[in-house]
Amino acid sequence: MLRNLFAAEWLKLYRRPLAWGLLAIFLGLMLLSQGLWALVLALHIGAVGGLELQALAPAQVEQLKLQLSFPGVFGAVLGQLNGTGGILAIILAAGALGSDYSWGTMRTLLARAPARGSYLAAKTLALLLALLLATLIALLVGSLVAFIVSVWLDLPLRIRFSDLALLPLGIARALLVILPYLLATLACAAWGRSALAGMGGGLIFLALDVGAGSLSSLGLVNELVLFMINLLLQPNITTLVVLNGQLFGLDPSLLTSALDLAYLPSPLQAIFVVLIYSSSFGYVAWRTLARRDVSGQQ
Amino acid sequence: MPTPAIETTELTRRYGARVAVDALNLRVERGEIFGFLGPNGAGKTTTIAMLLNLVRPSHGQALVLGCDVQREPARALAHVGAMIEAPAFYPYLSGYDNLRVLCKAGGLPEPRIEQTLAAVELRKRAHDKVQVYSQGMRQRLALAAALLPDPELIILDEPTNGLDPAGTAEIRGLIRDLAAGGRTIFLCSHMLHEVEQLCERVAILKQGRLIAEGRVADLLHHHQGLRLRIEGDLAPAEALLRSLPWVQAVSQVHGQLMVDAPPERAAELNGHLARAGILVAELTIQAASLEDFFLEVTAEEERKNR
Repeated sequence: MLRNLFAAEWLKLYRRPLAWGLLAIFLGLMLLSQGLWALVLALHIGAVGGLELQALAPAQVEQLKLQLSFPGVFGAVLGQLNGTGGILAIILAAGALGSDYSWGTMRTLLARAPARGSYLAAKTLALLLALLLATLIALLVGSLVAFIVSVWLDLPLRIRFSDLALLPLGIARALLVILPYLLATLACAAWGRSALAGMGGGLIFLALDVGAGSLSSLGLVNELVLFMINLLLQPNITTLVVLNGQLFGLDPSLLTSALDLAYLPSPLQAIFVVLIYSSSFGYVAWRTLARRDVSGQQ
Repeated sequence: MPTPAIETTELTRRYGARVAVDALNLRVERGEIFGFLGPNGAGKTTTIAMLLNLVRPSHGQALVLGCDVQREPARALAHVGAMIEAPAFYPYLSGYDNLRVLCKAGGLPEPRIEQTLAAVELRKRAHDKVQVYSQGMRQRLALAAALLPDPELIILDEPTNGLDPAGTAEIRGLIRDLAAGGRTIFLCSHMLHEVEQLCERVAILKQGRLIAEGRVADLLHHHQGLRLRIEGDLAPAEALLRSLPWVQAVSQVHGQLMVDAPPERAAELNGHLARAGILVAELTIQAASLEDFFLEVTAEEERKNR
């Protein structure tokens, strides 16, 4: 049943214009930011018609160089996937489940294949596969830009096998970071029986979670407060994002002054907490979908 | 003895204080075309949604093809094809791909798609996107989707909605062919003329309650009347007829008398009038239509509830 439903979900998702539109938006934003970084770097090293900019510290300039060349570009692309990509993933997930309600296709589908748990699992897997493919495409496009920038700004141009071998770990971490938001969105869409409820719920949760992340400075008070704050989702997400940057030689704290790595939870805790949140949201989504009527009055 | 295609016991669905379906007991035998009627908001679609495990009953049980829909939905619905409410499809996919999605989801063989598209005469436009389909084409596609699993039981909610007269006739023919193949058809429609032509038995729902059920011929037989044309003054004849104990009602319609009396007593009635010196120029048995019957029983129910 799960295999059949996954095949159906995948067919729906990869043929959906929304999915390709969101990928195009993500790639556009990624190219824009890479282009702006490249321009800032070019201005710092005087590669643009003799103009010179001195706004960044030398360590930050070095960081930009790393982000725009291999292997740092992999960390930068994965970081972007966990930033703007997360927002777009919420929109995609809300559309994937919510549209089945609003178009009425869920009743046709569930009348044919009534295992609601399998339906939700198939949808989640199809979304993760779509995100995986989007990540691979983004990495390819990012690499192409890195190649061009490296040639233009005379940056080191070398791709080592050991860096490529780290990509699966980086991609898995990036997808793990998106997973709780994805499942929270599905839970909201199932609760509100619409794409709007999913999108609204997912984005509000993301905003609240990022806002809660700013509480990390309260960790200075004492160990107990720090422990409590680190049970929130955001510090654990930050740990995984930082780890992904470090995996490819980047130091995100150099470009984000508010980021204090000393107060972040351990990598093991981060994985554990993110999995707990994901499981909870997944359970709520399943429970809501399984117990609520698919059609008729709410 | 085979289990019925559909059997509901005290099937109830409440939304807060409102009872959408009220202790519905229904039995649809295998191989019959069963009409499920009722005014808007009567609870027909909610009943169908409960039969398809899309809406949970508040109380009671629904068995479909002998299986409890709540407990074994996959088994109960494996041989059921359904067309529920308005046709629902992915607008960005073609008609063909929409059926592919359903085939994949249900683990059905894809060659079935061509067969069902041919059955509803939609092959030529199968690869157009559904968003450009007319209402009639969507209706046909929904019917094709219902036929995909080669179902034993077909549940059709307003299958001819949006179809032109030719399309309606085609679908009616298709439903007859499907039933002739031994399938059970559960037909929910506002087109009472269509239901009368197709169905052997009907049930009428009003405000969630079953108010009439039975063979169409039996229900209509009990609602047949006599029409009398009498030259001259109708008043004496009307007074005489009202005095007969087996005459339930007499009314004047377009200068003729309509008498609610058993058709088999037509000769006796004529005899009474002749003995009183009233000559009947014409006496016909007025066959009731399902529409008349439907309007009458629903109005009667309305009166009772006031």
